This record gives sequence, structure tokens and C-alpha cells, in this order.
Amino acid sequence: MIRSRTFQLVVPALLVLALLPFGVGGYILGLLIPAFYMAVFAMSWDLLFGFAGEVNFGPSFLIGIGAYTAALLNHYYATPIPLCLAAGAFAAVIAGVVLAVPALRLTGPYFGLVTLVAVLMLQNILVLFAGITGGEIGLDLPDVLAISDTTNYYYALVFMTISGAILFGLSRSPVGLILQASGQNAVEAAALGFNVAKHKLAAFCISAFFSGLAGAMLIFYMGTVSVGTVVDIAVGVNVIIAAVLGGRRTIIGAAFGAIFLIGAGELLRPLGQLSTFVVSAVALVVILFFPGGFMGRLLQTGGRE
Amino acid sequence: MSALLEVDGLTKRFGGLVAVKDIGFSIKGGEILGLIGPNGSGKSTVMKCIMGIEKPNAGTVKLEGINVAGWPTHRIARQGVGIVFQHSRPLQRQTILEHIKLALLPDNLLMLFTDHNVSRRAEEIAARVGLAKVMHRLPRTLPFADLRRLELAKAIARNPKVVLIDEPFAGLTKAEVADFSNLIGSFRAEGHAVLLVDHNVKSVAALVDRALAMYLGEYVADGTAEEVMRNETVRAVYLGGKIETAARPEREGKGRPPLLDVRNVGVLYGKAQALDDVSIHVGEGEFVSVVGLNGAGKTTLFNAISGLVPSSGAVTWKGEAIGGMTPAKIARMGIVQCPETRELFGDMSVRENLDLGGQHLPVAETQRQLQWLFELFPILHSRQGQVARTLSGGEQQMLAIARALMMKPKLLILDEPTLGLAPVILEQLSKALEKLRQTTDITVLLGEQNVTFALPHADRVYVLEHAHIVWEGDPARFAEEAGTGYL
Amino acid sequence: MLALQILIDGFAISSLYALGAAGFALMFGVSGVLNLSHGAIMVVAAVIAWWVGATFGVNPYLGAVAGILAALACAFFTYGVIARPIQNSPAIPKEEKEIFVLTGTLLWGIMLQGAIAYLFTNNPKTVRPLIEGVVMILGVRTPVNEILTAVLSWLVIGLLFLLVNRTRAGKSLLAASMNPRGLTLLGFELSNIYILVWAIYGIVAGIAGVLLGAFLGVSSDNAGTLTASAFSIVVLGGLGSVSGSLMAAYVVGYLETLTAYLVAPSIRTVPVLLLLVIVVYVRPQGLLGRR
Repeated sequence: MIRSRTFQLVVPALLVLALLPFGVGGYILGLLIPAFYMAVFAMSWDLLFGFAGEVNFGPSFLIGIGAYTAALLNHYYATPIPLCLAAGAFAAVIAGVVLAVPALRLTGPYFGLVTLVAVLMLQNILVLFAGITGGEIGLDLPDVLAISDTTNYYYALVFMTISGAILFGLSRSPVGLILQASGQNAVEAAALGFNVAKHKLAAFCISAFFSGLAGAMLIFYMGTVSVGTVVDIAVGVNVIIAAVLGGRRTIIGAAFGAIFLIGAGELLRPLGQLSTFVVSAVALVVILFFPGGFMGRLLQTGGRE
Repeated sequence: MSALLEVDGLTKRFGGLVAVKDIGFSIKGGEILGLIGPNGSGKSTVMKCIMGIEKPNAGTVKLEGINVAGWPTHRIARQGVGIVFQHSRPLQRQTILEHIKLALLPDNLLMLFTDHNVSRRAEEIAARVGLAKVMHRLPRTLPFADLRRLELAKAIARNPKVVLIDEPFAGLTKAEVADFSNLIGSFRAEGHAVLLVDHNVKSVAALVDRALAMYLGEYVADGTAEEVMRNETVRAVYLGGKIETAARPEREGKGRPPLLDVRNVGVLYGKAQALDDVSIHVGEGEFVSVVGLNGAGKTTLFNAISGLVPSSGAVTWKGEAIGGMTPAKIARMGIVQCPETRELFGDMSVRENLDLGGQHLPVAETQRQLQWLFELFPILHSRQGQVARTLSGGEQQMLAIARALMMKPKLLILDEPTLGLAPVILEQLSKALEKLRQTTDITVLLGEQNVTFALPHADRVYVLEHAHIVWEGDPARFAEEAGTGYL
Repeated sequence: MLALQILIDGFAISSLYALGAAGFALMFGVSGVLNLSHGAIMVVAAVIAWWVGATFGVNPYLGAVAGILAALACAFFTYGVIARPIQNSPAIPKEEKEIFVLTGTLLWGIMLQGAIAYLFTNNPKTVRPLIEGVVMILGVRTPVNEILTAVLSWLVIGLLFLLVNRTRAGKSLLAASMNPRGLTLLGFELSNIYILVWAIYGIVAGIAGVLLGAFLGVSSDNAGTLTASAFSIVVLGGLGSVSGSLMAAYVVGYLETLTAYLVAPSIRTVPVLLLLVIVVYVRPQGLLGRR
């Protein structure tokens, strides 16, 4: 394993990230924390798309359900954070099952549309019941994960590392193999004796769990929750771009893609609206010339031989 | 020994179409049965019904006495059936060994680590099918034959009672076919029941103990391979009946260069060799028939000529090399193909389809062409306004040919025009072709499985078998020399 | 009175939706591309029309032409730089081409949106109407512009219909949507067909954008919603059926208008979304779709 390319890329990166608070100020840390949560969103998405073969155009549906469940519990019932997180993850899993049911019956663009509609519906409902949910402005949360930047940073980093390890491990495990086969050709996978529906459902639940949990943690870092930060289509679009940029089916690539996207977006902020233009342009170039994404390129000759 | 696989009264309908009607057979352990039939015979559907990919409307499929008809595919697989599909795509990032391990995994959501036993067993299986040396390599680095071995390995990994193999030898060279045959034979020796599904008896004759022939969903004949090959009904289905020829005096100008010259053309589908070193030529005004069974490579040959698939070798038209031109350009140059699938514009009327064929002609010419075609195919005239999709099979075929003729081609390529048509329609088509042949100097290249249809009009015949040209000559000699061995 | 108002407003907005959706549906039917930069292209047309009108003080017709040309340019860029290279790329496996084209057009749409917001800010812009003034229709004050929007939309849709069903070039487009291989066999170069359809698409989207800009005004923020509406309408009507999209446009337009007037403007998209969910479950091929 030590010789695996992925290992060689990831471990030094993690080491650098772990030591970062000793060298940089709160600004950079504050930048990386949402990036780490975004990385978990993107990695969960890659598990679903890259392995189960299901294109989810509205990942922010799962993220939003997780985040808002946790937020509402905390805001109205002062539930302690760990319980909120658990509830958020659980609610997201239920949402994942809801999304999975049509997925197993619809194909191609139709399923993608269902996922898109799910997000739009959630957005509209949250805005409709603004009295409870705070609508566009959002809710303030009485509790936060931590006050200090450094503590928050380590919470996020550790969470990302553990989630990433689990998701990556899954992707490389026998279960991941079955999932990949199911995603590529359901009939052939079934002919090998695998209940494809069961495995895809499991993939949805796992993806939902991590997305929802990360969403819940994110809002407790920020101390507020609003439609624009966790449910908006733009959030979902960023997740998809991050995953595709980083490289489909690599899991780790999605994390790199997310960090790049957030980092680049921030770096270019002085350009104002032009920053979205530049980031999208770069992403477009990567897609056109390196369809395998960052990781795809880097891992091209490495890996297994 | 009692039967491992027993199929009885199997029936499958797709809407109004009966794909499989009342098919039954049994296979004992240590036996290989060949299920034979041309395209559209229903043999693939039978295989899918056994595997649970399609649910039969009636009948039973008994695996060691247990009826699995209607079960989901993965349950049938676990019950003891393995299948080798004709077109499989392996995962690109996993090694051969990992593919085999996958086939050995239980259907468990919680399998997070590979069992040590699983790895060992996978290696044994790899060795068994001859992949021991390459088991740590990725599929894209291996030749086609090895990929087929991989599929076989996956199918037998859990030691199923019954193994289904679809078109076992498609895309393999002669040497590879022999190797593969031995491998499949060894399953029989181990006591498995094997069902081979293929287009023709000849290719599997050496391997199977018994054969069952199907046509249009129904049983036609069964027995030993020899018996089936000699069966009258089977021959009628494949050859179309008594062979008649009516060649014109040798039209090919001696010493003149041929109009279409195909030399050493080879086509690869992925890694499978669909055409191997094929050379034919067609002279101006000639009617050349290429006969061969489904899967022999006729369509591939025509697609290579028309530029629809990449090919190696050289294709020359009127002295000019056309390899590398876009298919539309080749069509405009005068080589017009009427493919097996007809490719009509289903929601447009007959007239609109014909008009599109005449797009490149000046309006006055189009009118004249239309008139001529309506004389050749009167039924199209009366059904001018009808939507193409609602026409009968024979009418659609005539429309497809007429549309191609609208382009005033120099060379008309016809691919399996008789597929699925009733004998009465074949008569009409034959008459139309004859009229075409007598009244114009159009050059025709016809590809057909139905020899009775292909021969009467032909000046020369090629026989295409398993990606190679195996015979060339005039139709009169065909009946004596190649006809008997055809099946 | 209210009913009449709803009837008129609903009709105008539906006609505009119909135009936009017709272009989107034609594109999908012929080339198989779901262009997610659709809304952005419409916004580009409207903003350029506004800018040319405001900066150079020319008459609104010239501004409109400028807007349409801008949309045409964007459409060709989408085809030449994104859709075609991805379709032809050997590095992308066939099953993934669709999502790459979707992502590519999505990114391009975001780029356009960002560029517009940067160059012109995201404040709403209104294009000067081609004809000013107000008329009374049965007691309802209606801007002439609104009537013009409906009339022009249908004029263009009518022209599109004539083009596709009566001209040789148009018939080849129709044939391409049914069977591209059949066309190749008849000697038509598909690349020419695609250039034609993208050109038509660019012009139609441009006209729709300019009309929208004059009718309701646009801002760069609208790009995403416009694309989502077009997408929903086309799916509702049946992917690949242009006439289905026209009908669906009216269903959506009226549903939105009714909701906006009778309940609240902010949730006018909710009933449409609900309808979409029901349709996708019960009848995924839409109203008139075939597949």
C-alpha cells in the first residue's frame, strides 16, 4: 500500500494540512474549513456516480435535509449538537432512500430530472415556510462546534479524513467492486448473482449519510443555516464540478477538486463576478482536455500493475 | 443421469410479437446442447428467459427439478446457472484476477475484506481457463481471446450446474476456436450441462452432443448435429429451398479494372476480428452476391465499404481510394447501401422518405425517378402518404430499396433484404430485382443468408464464413461445390 | 376582470416559454444535446440588445438584431468548443458523453452568467420595447409590447414549423431527429445538419431572449431559472416532441400565472414542480413523447 500512488499523494497532503494552523492565519483556515466539508459532499457524490452509476443533479437535496434537520432541532429544542448531527444524518439517509426509489425505475435524463426537482422543491418549501425555517435569511443556531478557528479546522480536517478513508476504503473493497459492476452493467452484475437494486440502495444511503452529516457539521461551524448555503442549486453544481474535475471514480480526486474549487474561487474573489467566470473556464478546460480529471491524470500510469 | 436443465413449454411474447413459442428441451450433466437459429429465431430470448433477464409468459425452467422461471436473475445465478454474454465489457481498472474474485463474492452488503480463500480459488480458476500468466494485468492490455476466457472464468467461478454460452466463437481465429472448444469440452467432462447458442450448426457441430434448431420462435428440428444439418426444414429455412440460377453471360469486362475493388480488408470490433483479410471485386454492371450465415461478416463488409466502420486494407472505387472518406461522401459518390436495418424515417410518409433520397437531384429528375420507382414497386405508389412505420415488413423493404435507388446509385449494396419476410413478398422482391437487372445497367452487391434468393440474379458469388471469404465462383458451380457444405 | 388579466398575461408568458422551449426541444431532438447554457444565451441576447440600445441610442430593432447575433455566436461556440469535441472525443466512454456535455454546457452557462454580471452588473435590464404604448382589451390595460411578445413568439414558431416541415433543409433536420444514420446513408453530412440546427437554435433563443428582455426584463441571475423552465417544459411535453413542448409551455405558463395571481408570486414554480414529479413517475415520456 505504501507504494500506491494514491497513498503517495494523499499522505503528504494530509500532513501539510495537519500542520497548516501552525503557519497560517485564520483567513486561510476559514477558507479551508468549508472546503473540507465540500470535499466530503463531493466524495459522497463520486461514490454514487462513479460507482453506482447514478447521476445525482441535486446533491444539495441530501445536504440540505441533513443540515436543516440538525438546525431545526438545535434552534427550537436546544438539542445538543451530537444528537443533532445524528438526527441530520439519519434524516438524510431517509431522503436518500426516497431518491433511490425512482432511480431504480427510471433511466438517463429522467432520473437526473427527479434529483433536480427534489432540490427545487426543497428550496421552495423552505422559503414557503419561512416562518419556521427562516427562509432566505436563515436561522441562527445557539450552539456551534467550537469558537476557535484552529479547533474548527481540526474538526473539519479529521472529519474529512475519516469520511474520506471510509468512502475510499469502501470503493476499494469487494462491496465497492460489486457496486462498480452494478453501475456499469446491471444485467451482467445480476448474472453474477448480485442483487443490483439492493446494492444501489445501499450506495444511496451511504452517500446520503455522509452528505447529510457533513451538511450538519458545516452549519454548526458557521453558526447559521440558510437556503443559499446548503440547498441552492449552485451548491450542488459546485459539488458536481468538484467531483468531475477531480476525477470520476477516484473518491480522493473529488476532495482535491473541492479544495481547488473553493481555494480558486476565494483567490479570485477580488475579481468580483469574474471569479466565477475564471473558475468555470478552468473547469471547462480540464473537462475538455483531461476528462479523467486531476487525479485521473496523476494516476494514469500508477496504481496497479 | 437425470436432467440438470429442463425447459418445457417456454413461451415469450413482446406485445403482439411471439418471440418464443412452446420451446422445450433438456440437458443432462456432461452434455452439450446447441440451440441454433438465424437472426430473429428467438434463441437469444430463450437464453434470456432461462437466465431470468426476461420473464417467460408460460412454461417452466427447471434446474435440478426446481422451477426457476420468473425468478430474478441474481437468484437464478445463485441457484446454479452461469452465463457468458456475447458482448461483455470488463471493468477497466481491475485486473483479471479481481474480475474473477468478483464472480466469487457472495451477495453481501458487508463484505469489506476479501476472504483469503476467495483469492486462492480465483487463482485456481484463472489457471483453469489458461489465464494464469496474465491474471495481474488489466483487460485493455489483453487480446480478445483472453477476454473471452475471462468471461468463461466468471461464468464457471461458482461451479454452476448449467453454463449458457452465447455465440461462443464469434470474433475468434481458427486456432482460438479450437482452444476454446477444448475448454468448453472440459466443462462437459466435469459434469456440467452446457447450452451453446449460435447462428449455425456448422461452427458448433464438432462440440455439441445434440442440437435444436429454431425458426421464428418455434421448434424446427432436433437430434445430433449431423441430423439437424441434413434436416429438410432446416435447410429450407437457411437456404430457402431449391437452388436455381439464371446467370447472364459473363458481364465482367475482361481486362477492365473493376468498379469496386476491395483488398485485404480487416475490421476489428473492439478486439474481435469481424473481418479478416477479405478481398472482393465488383465489375461494372455486374450483380454479385455475397452469401453467408448471420454473423459471418456480410454487414461488416458492407459497412467497411460504405465507410461506416474503420477498416484496414484498401477499398478502391473507380480507381480512387475511398478509405477515410466520410460515409455521406461515399454515398454521394455513387455507392448507396440499403442496410439490413433499413433505417427508414419512421414518422415520415413514404413519399417524404423517397423525396429525401432524391435531395441531391434537380427537381425534374426527382419526378422522373419517382415515376420509374412507382412502376417498379406499384405498392409504394398506392401507399404514398402512409407513414413509414405503419407499413408491413415487405413494404418497408421495398421503400428502403426504392429510397436508395432515388439516389441513382452506381453501385447498390443490399444487405439481407429478405430478413423476416414472407415467401410471397420474396417473390415480389425477386421480380423487382430481376426487372432492375434486365432494364438498367446498375451494379449490385447483394448480401444474403437465403441462398435461393441470392443465386438466381447473380453473375458471381462469394461465400463469406466466419470473417473469411472461403469460395468464389459462378452460381452454377455453387450448388455443386459449396452448397452442401454451406450449413 | 382578474380572470381576463390572468388569461392575457398567462398567454403572453406562455407564448414566450413556448418559443424558448421550441428551440431547446429542436436542439435535443436533432442533436441529442440538452443545452444547459440555454438560459444564459437568452440573457446574453437580452443584455446585448439593451446595451446596444442604451449605449448607441439606435432604434430598438437594431439592438434586437445585435442581441440575436450575440446569441448566434454563443450557440456556435457551444457547438464548436463544447458539444462537438466532447461527442468526438475518444477519451470519454460513450455512456458518459451525455453527462460531460451537460456539465460542459453548464459550465459555459455559468461563464456567460459571470461575464454578464461582471460587465453589466446583475441589475435587471429592460430592453426598450419595439412598440410603446398601452391598449385596452375588454377593460384590461395591456401594454402593446405584451401583445407583440405573444404575436412575435407565434410568428417565429410558425416560421420554424414551416421551415421544418416544408423546406428541404428543414425536412433533413426532422429526418436527423428520427434517424441520423439513415441520413448519412443518403449522402447527408451530419456535421452540416448540426451546424444548421445550432444556427436555428441560436436565432430562436436570441429572439426569445430579446422578447423576454422587453417584456419582463432580465438579469444575469435569471439564467439558471430560465434553463430550468425550458428543461421542465420539454420533459413535460415529452423529450423530442416539439409540439409537446408547445402544449407543455402553455400548461406551465398558465399554472405559474394562476399561482402568482391567486396565491403568491414567490411560490409560482411549486405547482409546476409538483406536476413535473407526478409526470416523471406516472408518464415519464411526457405528454407527447414517444420513448
